[in-house]
Amino acid sequence: MVLQEATAVGAGLALIGAGLAMGLSGLGTGIAQSQTGAAAVGATAEDPKMFIRGIVLMAIPETVVILGFVVAFLLLGTI
Amino acid sequence: MLRPEDMTRIVVVGSMDGLDPTVECLYDQGVLHIIDFTEPTQDFKIGSPLPEASDASQKLLKLRAMMRALQLESYTPEQKLTTDEIGAKLEQALVTLDVNSTSKVDARIKIVSLIREKEQEIRALEPFQSFNIPVENFVGYESVSAFAGTCKKDPSEGLAVKLKAFEIFVSPLKGAFAVALFVKNEDKAEASRVLSDAGYQEIKIPNLRGHPAAIIFQNREEIKNLHADLVRIDKDIDGIRKRFADFIIASEEDLAIKVLKAETPLRFATSANSFVIDGWVPRSKLGPLEKALGAACSGTTYMEAIEPEKKEEPPVRLRHTLPVRPYELFINLVLTPKYTEIDPTIILFITFPVFFGLMLGDLGLGLVLLGLGIFFRLKMSGGFKRLGTITIGAAVISILFGLFVYCEAFGVPFHAPADNPEETAWDTVVNIPLHPLINKLTDVKELLAISIAAGWMHMTIGLGFGVSNNWHSKKHALGKLAWLILLFGIFMEIMFVAGNTTFTSKLFNDTLFAPFPSSMSTIIGVKVSNTALVTALVGIALLIVTEGAVVLTEVLTIFANLVSYARLAALAVGHGAMSLAFNTMLFPVIFGDNVVLAVLGALTLGASVAIFVFLLGSLSIGIQAMRLNYYEFFLKFFEGGGTEYSPLGYSRRYSIERT
Repeated sequence: MVLQEATAVGAGLALIGAGLAMGLSGLGTGIAQSQTGAAAVGATAEDPKMFIRGIVLMAIPETVVILGFVVAFLLLGTI
Repeated sequence: MLRPEDMTRIVVVGSMDGLDPTVECLYDQGVLHIIDFTEPTQDFKIGSPLPEASDASQKLLKLRAMMRALQLESYTPEQKLTTDEIGAKLEQALVTLDVNSTSKVDARIKIVSLIREKEQEIRALEPFQSFNIPVENFVGYESVSAFAGTCKKDPSEGLAVKLKAFEIFVSPLKGAFAVALFVKNEDKAEASRVLSDAGYQEIKIPNLRGHPAAIIFQNREEIKNLHADLVRIDKDIDGIRKRFADFIIASEEDLAIKVLKAETPLRFATSANSFVIDGWVPRSKLGPLEKALGAACSGTTYMEAIEPEKKEEPPVRLRHTLPVRPYELFINLVLTPKYTEIDPTIILFITFPVFFGLMLGDLGLGLVLLGLGIFFRLKMSGGFKRLGTITIGAAVISILFGLFVYCEAFGVPFHAPADNPEETAWDTVVNIPLHPLINKLTDVKELLAISIAAGWMHMTIGLGFGVSNNWHSKKHALGKLAWLILLFGIFMEIMFVAGNTTFTSKLFNDTLFAPFPSSMSTIIGVKVSNTALVTALVGIALLIVTEGAVVLTEVLTIFANLVSYARLAALAVGHGAMSLAFNTMLFPVIFGDNVVLAVLGALTLGASVAIFVFLLGSLSIGIQAMRLNYYEFFLKFFEGGGTEYSPLGYSRRYSIERT
């Protein structure tokens, strides 16, 4: 399939956008998880009962990367 | 099913003469959850332990010390003993054990520490063997300082530059140097600077006399003899252990139970002539307990059900049977639900395996997981056993999804998909006549729609529970209802926008949303369903009325919660993509002509599937499935903070009750 030049540029931009949405949201989640994760490990070391709560707290920032995934996917759908 | 067991508040009253049989009877029945008596009054004091407590505790202490000394803590007895046998033999056995084991165990400890000491001396002197300096010559000078230790490099040259007079002995030692250095006291600081530049580490020279080589030789001889002694003592101790192990474990258990019973009066109120026990009993056990007390105490003890005070909250006993029961683990890991709250275990029992299966959805990995679950269930105990049951459930659903929905095993499809006929598939080996309903990598939209729909149902149940839990306060119940309406609006909007592009959205639009008008308008470039907008606005308005305007800041969170379920799709897709990547890279190698490469490829594939796809995958999928329950679901209704029902009772595993 030969794309029209304008369409090709648009598709390329959408792909870059999808990549950025996925990558940057992953980075954001990573930064947030590094802090909650460190705190959760500390808390678990003091009281093993905190393990589950630690996991739950660690999982909260993941919503950001999920939103990134959805946006990336919607962008892919526009091509 | 959604409520904990009904509890009745009771009081047991009796005269002190009947205390012993009452306690005995309460433990036998094992149904009374005691409310600890903590506020003594003028007439009623906290009870004191039964007379046999102190003697039993002392014996227990002795037995436990022996258990530690004989290393019996993790021993499982071969035979059970009756309480009669234990009672008859205990006094005699304690004396015999004391005479035989205490001295031997002490001697063993001494020998072990002596061996350690000698070995330490050998380690300290070994580097200096070749210097031929008697050990006593390393210390005890007035004007000379001595250094002994190891250096990373030879310090001789550095010392020659800095110091005029010194005597040094150096010998190579496993990539370093053993060094003995003697300098004048005034040069000590300079010498230690040079040494530390050379990476000096001091070795403490033991306080002995004679040449190092001779001492080392002598120590080795002594250690040999000590080991022989140790073997002899160990044999003796082993004999004692064999003879008494079963008895010690059984009597430890029996004594622990005796002490537990004898100390029970510390938990309730007693006056000079009577006692009062407050507590809770499951309603169904009320009759049997009353009968048993009547029979055991022959009329000296009375039991009565009373109306609980308002502030008193009954203990919570979740009542589930297999296979739901293990999921109580997930609830108790957070908090025990309150007595008045809905117990969400049954929902977890359904949603956890379904979410897990939706994300993993693989016949091969499901089977491996099933094996793991069965192993845990059969071979482990406690939490791991329950985890085994949970794993089995998750594995079965994964297998079903793998078989009928995704049609793949170990990331390899049963048949190559139409758009990628080159992909390796199982039909080259075995033809499974099933075709996928959903392809993880191409039907992402469908997966997303399913995830959002699952999320909507899950959260709707959660908010429904919230309405029920808050029923006593109409305002809060209405608040939950407002969230429910708002969520419905958001879900309707998503499904209307998705229209007929996915099967799931079409299904909802044709059934649940069919009665609603489907007129759409465009607001700031976004397609909006009018009905959904009105529903959401009604929800928001009701929220403002019930929870106040501040709640507007939280309106978006419910949308984020719903979208959060997209992780179900995301993990399924991620999992599929990861498997495809490994398979695409390694299958050409495995099925190539080079045998060595094929074996290496197969091993790499096996390892990568095992580590990345299975271990990390299942772990993260398990955590995600749990998190959706804990965060998106529980927070809609769950408060927790109830007291777990823990009735008086004990379990005998190694002894048999004989009365």
